[in-house]
Amino acid sequence: MGAKEENGDGEMDQTVKKYLRGEAANLEGLQDKKLKGQLAIREELYGKSAKAAAKIEKWLLPSEGGYLEAEGIEKTWRIKQESIAREVDILSLRNQYDIILPELGPYTLDFTPNGRYMAAAGRKGHLAVVDMKTLSLIKEIQVRETVRDVVYLHNELFFAAAQKKYPYIYNRDGTELHCLKEHGAVSRLQFLKNHFLLASINKLGQLHYQDVTMGEMVGNYRTGSGRTDAMQVNPFNGVVALGHSSGTVTMWKPTSAAPLVKMLCHPGPVSSLAFHPNGHLMATSGKEKKIKIWDLRKFEVIQTLSGHAKTLNFSQKGLLAAGTGSFVQILGDFSGSQNYSRYMSHSISKGYQVGKVLFRPYEDVLGIGHSMGWSSILIPGSGEPNFDSWVANPFETSKQRREKEVHSLLDKLPPETIMLDPTKVGTVRPARKKEKKPTKEEREAEMEAAVEAAKDTDIKKKTKGRNKPSKRAQRRKEIIDRAKRPFLEHRVEEQETFRKKHKTNMETEMPKSLQRFVRQKAT
Amino acid sequence: MAEKKRKERAGGGESRTNKKFKKHSNSKGLTKKSKDKSNMRRKRTGPRLPSALRTELDRLNARISANSDDEINSDVEKDVYEYEEEVPQEESRKNRRFDPVENYEYELPEDFEDENVSSDDDDDDNDDDFDVGGNEGNLIEDLDDSDGVEEEDDGRHLRMLQGITGMSNDAFEGKKKKNNVVISEAHPESEYNPTRDVLEGDGHITVQDLLEPIQGKPGYSKLRKRVQYMDRKSTSIQAPLPKADREKLERMAVYEHSKKDITKWEHLVKRNREAPTIFFGEDVDLGFSTVGAIASEFEPRTEFEKKIASLVYDDKVIEAHKADGSKLLELNKISAEDYMKHRNHIAKMRSLLFHHEMKRKRVKKIKSKTYHRLKNKDKLKAASAEMLMDPEAAKEQARKQEFKRAEERMTLKHKNKSKWARRILERGLNAQDEGTRAAMAEQLHHHALLTRKINTVKDSSSSSSDSSSDEDDEGSDQDRASELLEKAKEKTLKVLEDDEEVPNSGVLSLPFMVRGMKKRKEEAIEEAKLALQEYEQLEGTVGAVNLKPATASGRRVFGMANNEASESNNKIKTDNKKMKMDNYYGNSDSEDDLEAKENLNITGGRKNDVEKDAGPNCVHKEAADVRQDSVFKNFDDIVRDPGPKTTYEVAIFTSDSWRKMKSENGVDANVKKSQEIKEPIVQNQDLKEGEEESDSDSEEQMVDGILSTGPKDSYELPSQSELIRHAFAGDDVEEEFEKDKQEILNDENPEPDKPVLLPGWGQWTHIQHKKGLPSWMLKEHDDAKRKREETLKKRKDAHLKHVIISEKLDKKAEKLQTKTLPYPFTSKELFEQSVRMPIGSEFNPETAIRALNRPDVVKKPGVIIKPIKFEEVHQHEKPEDHKRSGQKRKPNRSKGAVGKMKKQ
Repeated sequence: MGAKEENGDGEMDQTVKKYLRGEAANLEGLQDKKLKGQLAIREELYGKSAKAAAKIEKWLLPSEGGYLEAEGIEKTWRIKQESIAREVDILSLRNQYDIILPELGPYTLDFTPNGRYMAAAGRKGHLAVVDMKTLSLIKEIQVRETVRDVVYLHNELFFAAAQKKYPYIYNRDGTELHCLKEHGAVSRLQFLKNHFLLASINKLGQLHYQDVTMGEMVGNYRTGSGRTDAMQVNPFNGVVALGHSSGTVTMWKPTSAAPLVKMLCHPGPVSSLAFHPNGHLMATSGKEKKIKIWDLRKFEVIQTLSGHAKTLNFSQKGLLAAGTGSFVQILGDFSGSQNYSRYMSHSISKGYQVGKVLFRPYEDVLGIGHSMGWSSILIPGSGEPNFDSWVANPFETSKQRREKEVHSLLDKLPPETIMLDPTKVGTVRPARKKEKKPTKEEREAEMEAAVEAAKDTDIKKKTKGRNKPSKRAQRRKEIIDRAKRPFLEHRVEEQETFRKKHKTNMETEMPKSLQRFVRQKAT
Repeated sequence: MAEKKRKERAGGGESRTNKKFKKHSNSKGLTKKSKDKSNMRRKRTGPRLPSALRTELDRLNARISANSDDEINSDVEKDVYEYEEEVPQEESRKNRRFDPVENYEYELPEDFEDENVSSDDDDDDNDDDFDVGGNEGNLIEDLDDSDGVEEEDDGRHLRMLQGITGMSNDAFEGKKKKNNVVISEAHPESEYNPTRDVLEGDGHITVQDLLEPIQGKPGYSKLRKRVQYMDRKSTSIQAPLPKADREKLERMAVYEHSKKDITKWEHLVKRNREAPTIFFGEDVDLGFSTVGAIASEFEPRTEFEKKIASLVYDDKVIEAHKADGSKLLELNKISAEDYMKHRNHIAKMRSLLFHHEMKRKRVKKIKSKTYHRLKNKDKLKAASAEMLMDPEAAKEQARKQEFKRAEERMTLKHKNKSKWARRILERGLNAQDEGTRAAMAEQLHHHALLTRKINTVKDSSSSSSDSSSDEDDEGSDQDRASELLEKAKEKTLKVLEDDEEVPNSGVLSLPFMVRGMKKRKEEAIEEAKLALQEYEQLEGTVGAVNLKPATASGRRVFGMANNEASESNNKIKTDNKKMKMDNYYGNSDSEDDLEAKENLNITGGRKNDVEKDAGPNCVHKEAADVRQDSVFKNFDDIVRDPGPKTTYEVAIFTSDSWRKMKSENGVDANVKKSQEIKEPIVQNQDLKEGEEESDSDSEEQMVDGILSTGPKDSYELPSQSELIRHAFAGDDVEEEFEKDKQEILNDENPEPDKPVLLPGWGQWTHIQHKKGLPSWMLKEHDDAKRKREETLKKRKDAHLKHVIISEKLDKKAEKLQTKTLPYPFTSKELFEQSVRMPIGSEFNPETAIRALNRPDVVKKPGVIIKPIKFEEVHQHEKPEDHKRSGQKRKPNRSKGAVGKMKKQ
């Protein structure tokens, strides 16, 4: 019993540690008593918060995630969907289905962040919005041109579709709201929900960022590596990664024209890539029949698996789905050692080509878009069992949705907050390389310029007595003096420092025998 | 006086002189001596002071004595003695004068005094004696002064003797006395030549002296007794401290006291200071809040208020009101008809007013320029009519006009000086739309109108051309040039667009005439085109080098479109070609070359145009021509534009034609080249069109010869070429990446320039030449190189062969970080650790947020913060567990949060 309690305490400590988000500051050597006191109080509060969070996690989170466990010689990847179907409840059973729509070509999918709605886009112009909870079709439209990609914006009310020439934004009722002509013929779309940015890569290899709140074009950059179909947003920091035909993966942010990172991942073209939700892992697949898992903190390969993957996707719990041909494979690491191994596999009917695999958030469901429609299969242990209504609520009412929309708009992050390490925000800027001090001539010139500028300023016309020429001259002189002052002050300061330096130098430079004659300062 | 001072400064000798002088006074009578002795006897026990201090004191005393009046002589004397006594016994020769204890009984001061002042007759003699003595004393002192050292020796000797024998000084004094020689004063004594006694303190008039004359008078003995008593009992009274010192002491005392008093607040204040949050007025009842409630509380206080109240609340008034109120109302009665009439009238007026108001509102809102123009016109018309009719109005009008003109001259308001105008000029007038241009022109016109009067006055030659020239003068040279160009361009365009209608009848309708005209027209058009080109080029040079003019005309746009299309096609191929192209540009062509080619190209194109009749082919060629042109321009731009972009842009804009051109031609005659260039382009274009069509039909099918990049979108088997490309894709990927990385590294940390000498510099002789570069230059170069290598090593991707991490600074993101450490923090780590926790509601449980985000001071609106009240606080008590009356504190932080939530 005691041991158990201890164990529980240990677990609790672990979670508390997690919620403390790093080491507490060491106040031992701190001289400033006031600061010390303040920090101590702060730390105490943090501790309390973390403890409360840990307690909530322990007692209040309703459910735990499960996964398949094999018995004996059984292998998890041998377990078929049918056998799973026999075991699960009716509600989950509803998530196993195939939708066959042979005419309108390969389908691509997207889920809302809360997993409640799905948008499906057929290559030949079929757009459909489906409520996944009731499995009812909300709206479907035929746009009568190629649709290459579809993506939800911040909630289910809006989605963007990459069509033949331009991407368009539709609302839930299928009304076309915007035509984003600046993007051109877009091949992939991504939405950055914290920044409200719609990112697209077009056929010319141009990366566009558009703010969907104000419609402003935030960035437009040439990748310079041609057309690509592999594009994914890192959910951790909002960096967009592109896979190129030269085997490189480039990572972009909307405020710089050059890629943040360019890494050579495969010798052949990169066919797809995916990010782990925690942002530290990236999976890429190359045409040379390799899937690689990268640690983005070190930019090193963790694991190389063999196999084609036309499409990759990480689930919320970190399962990796890879689809190629008519075969879908799910890799998982349940050991926590980031060593991915085969977890499940599923093959759809022969001839169906998988185009897109996408885990449904907050459900143990994998959506597969293929050439003949879309399917949905059960992958135990893939979805996050407990949702946080601050983040996403699958059971959101329309009122909550409206609230959320306003809140998220208020909390919208500016595009410059996208960076490789977002924890750097708010910290002290690293010291820049020392800028060369301006030379004397430069400073003189600067002063001259300032004086000239001061001379040119128009003097306000004052009332009668104060507008005399002498007064005006005086005022002008004052203005010029004021302009000069900082430079002169600077000069004086410099002289002072120089003198001080000189003095100390004198003292130290004296030969030892003469040093005692140096005048001591009165103490 | 001066003499005296000198003596005093002589130090130890001084006391002796005093003494000596007293000896002389002895000869006169013993009054003083006896008194002195008695004084001395009383006050001999002083501490030994350092000699410096002593002299200082002496001097002070002496001065006082010299300055003081006769009345305070005694005091002064006392003072003198007081300081003298501080001289240790053995050092002062006075010791000799008073005897050891046995003498004490013997010498009673009263007796001596009695004897001394026995008769008035004596006085004169005494005086004489005194005088002589004084004179002598003076001389003696001089002598003394001269041999002060000797005397000091004597003093030491005496002391020695005293020390050895243990006898008092007097025993050895005799010898000294003999030495004193009486020397009479040089001058007779008078009030102008006072004796030394008078000058010195010793000779001063004492109380006794003053008492002498009143001897025998009633009350004398009493007085004398009192004086004696005082003499006997007198102790030195401390002089009161200076006021400043006194006050300082007082303050000190008060400070001590108040310090003690205030320290009791320390804990309280400390607690408040340390508390993260202070709560004010948690349980203060705000009481009434309505106006009625406050009004009901009102009590008349001032005289006036009371009077009013007495009137209002007067019983009689109230009663009367109650009784007669109705009657009073009856008096007010008016007939219903009257009332109705009145009301109707008012309603009518009101509605009229309302309508008028609405109308004015509508009219005021009108923004239409036409309306205002018309309105102004009307106004002007009316004014002019009035002017004609009424001389007064005319005068007024003229005055107004004059004023306006003067104002214009003064302010130059309409001379493109306004912010708006300057901005527009800055952007270039050509870039503006017609309306803006018109507005600008209008303004200038306005200005011209307003300032014209002067011109007419001055040279009486006002004309539109004048004004226009004025206008021209106003803009800067550049603007004028661009404007001129613009005008010229417009005109040529007009010529181009002008379709002269061929008359159906007459001479001109004859076929040969028509042909001739056509020919001429064509020529004109050609010329116009040429001119246009030139204009554009000129414009390009006038403004910054921009390609925008190319897009201004319709044809150009087409060219650009082509360009883009080709761009997409050729992208894949450029991968390998990139380097080649770079080389090509690096080695051979300079800007001028390119431009020359361009020109030639154009002429060639024109020839073609002239030769061939209009047809689809021609259109193609023209398009191609223009496109070529634009490509050239692009290259131009690229060549001019330094920086990392270069490679990308080259990659994008390179096309098939270029490669072919290079392979086929090399460096040939330019005209020929241009001819040859066209062909592939036309082909290319055809291909593109074909592709576009195919694109519309089947999504991104392959067009033969051209590969589509990346993985295919469609789900058909990849074509043979794609497979091949994929198969060979991995060949030089790594190498290329390596190159890329090197490039980027060079870009971000550029290699230092090779040290070069100015040709001829420092090479006067062959010796210097042999030496080569100066060492400091080489050193600098080496340093720069080393530095670069170090920075390269420090890069994050230094050890990662397959990764390039950009180290470029993002200026926009920089504002998200603090430039300096916030104030109380001294270490970066501490600060960063202190901000590591998010405090938003999304990241913390509900129970903790409020505590995390509570402000420093919590106070309800309307609560008056009372001054702090004293209460006992234990020093080590936690601030949280404390309550304060009036300014209450939450008992517990977390609990407080809950409690607060409940309240809300």
